[in-house]
Amino acid sequence: MLEFSGAAVRTDDGRTLLHPLTLTLSERRVSVIGPNGSGKSTFLRLVNGLLVPTSGSVAVFGRDTRSQGHAVRRSVGFVFTDPLSQLVMPTGREDVELSLRSRKLPAADRRRAGEAVLRRFGIEHLADRSIYDLSGGERQILALAVVLAVEPRVLVADEPTTLLDLRNDARVRALVAGLDQQVVFTTHNLDFALESDRTLVVDDGRIVFDGLPRDAVARYREIAATAGVGGP
Amino acid sequence: MRGYGSTLGLYQPGSGFLYRTPLPVKAVVSLACAVVVIAWRSPATSAVALVLSLAALTIGAHQSPARILRMLLPAAPVLGILAVYQGVSQGWLHAVAVVGGIAACLLAARAVTLTTPTQDLLDGVARLARPFRAVGADPERFALALSIMLRSIPYLAGLFVDVREAARARGLDRHPRVAVTPLVVGAVAYAHRTGEALAARGLGGAVDEEGIGEGRPEDSGSGAGRTPPRAPGGERTDPWDAGGRPRLSPGPPSRTGVAPPRHLRC
Repeated sequence: MLEFSGAAVRTDDGRTLLHPLTLTLSERRVSVIGPNGSGKSTFLRLVNGLLVPTSGSVAVFGRDTRSQGHAVRRSVGFVFTDPLSQLVMPTGREDVELSLRSRKLPAADRRRAGEAVLRRFGIEHLADRSIYDLSGGERQILALAVVLAVEPRVLVADEPTTLLDLRNDARVRALVAGLDQQVVFTTHNLDFALESDRTLVVDDGRIVFDGLPRDAVARYREIAATAGVGGP
Repeated sequence: MRGYGSTLGLYQPGSGFLYRTPLPVKAVVSLACAVVVIAWRSPATSAVALVLSLAALTIGAHQSPARILRMLLPAAPVLGILAVYQGVSQGWLHAVAVVGGIAACLLAARAVTLTTPTQDLLDGVARLARPFRAVGADPERFALALSIMLRSIPYLAGLFVDVREAARARGLDRHPRVAVTPLVVGAVAYAHRTGEALAARGLGGAVDEEGIGEGRPEDSGSGAGRTPPRAPGGERTDPWDAGGRPRLSPGPPSRTGVAPPRHLRC
């Protein structure tokens, strides 16, 4: 349950990145679509407290992202567009274990838990390879694994398939579809958006549509057509 | 961007007795190497320390001489300058003692990081820093900072290689500013990205603050007596089910009231 209460984001020089926004997201799959620079990523960053609203508030299961940011971030996993921004350790095994350190498990248990996570995502054979030697798809799956290793309540993903080819795009979408967590994601892949339960269309820092994915996609196509770039 | 993939200074899976040696033993031997080289500074001491370090890496970690040499390459410019300075000011034997000793210490330290998984190293550092809890320090954060530092050194070395190659490709390799500016910008960007990646995972914050996933908000002190949030329809709902899991609505968006398509169901 994510609650935005008049949440707005403005820069120091007075530019509005996100206009005041009030809504509640309780669906399991929520997609956010819109043009580049429209405020999608700003919206997502509000969810796990990487960004706090300049006015209004955002609460995740009743916890305010401003006053309880650390607790919120431990419960809301965030997947970046570029997995190399996500992975900070040289190998997948070490990165997964880094995530698991927050659980304060004994070393042997942490190692076993790390191996279980790698097995669960089918990447145990990549565990000791340098993250730089992995393909884009493998890296993105690993990025998802390191975030999901601590079983967050909510997964937030910022264009998780943008850098992937069709096969890896399908792998990541299937993986997201199989998760128990509530997932909020931005995407330019309208087929991916259609797989969600609810879609928000963001344009120029405002939610211009909020509803069923197929209606949202139609609205987004209208926006794109009005902007003179044709439908996606 | 081949430089980014540099694994200099990091654990590399392998075999050999050093991989099986407990971290405290390796750390103490590495420290002892430094103490001996500093306390008994002489060319003979440095030579013995260097030979022992080389032997440890060759036999104990199955590293080839070429690979061991590459471990010293990043320090070569500093060692070279130091050798010349010491040689001119103190004599060449002294220079051999100093530079040889430093090289031996670098290789001994490298033997530790090469053969110890980062997480084990972190555990060791956290254990070592535990007494500082008494003065309010967080051993886990201490260990995390060290691991990020260890990771940053090879990353920045790799970044330097990339920046230099990019400058060379544009015929600008004679301008130091062209190499240094992107290196500084890249280093700052890396620090920012790393910080954000850690924050996004909830690492590096208050250690004893509970995440939402670890209990119902009502169970924690801060959540005591909290009024459940108001649902879109106006009624108050408890977002947690009986099992302590968040209560998620698989239903349609509130505006439409129409069941959405279910292409994928969990």
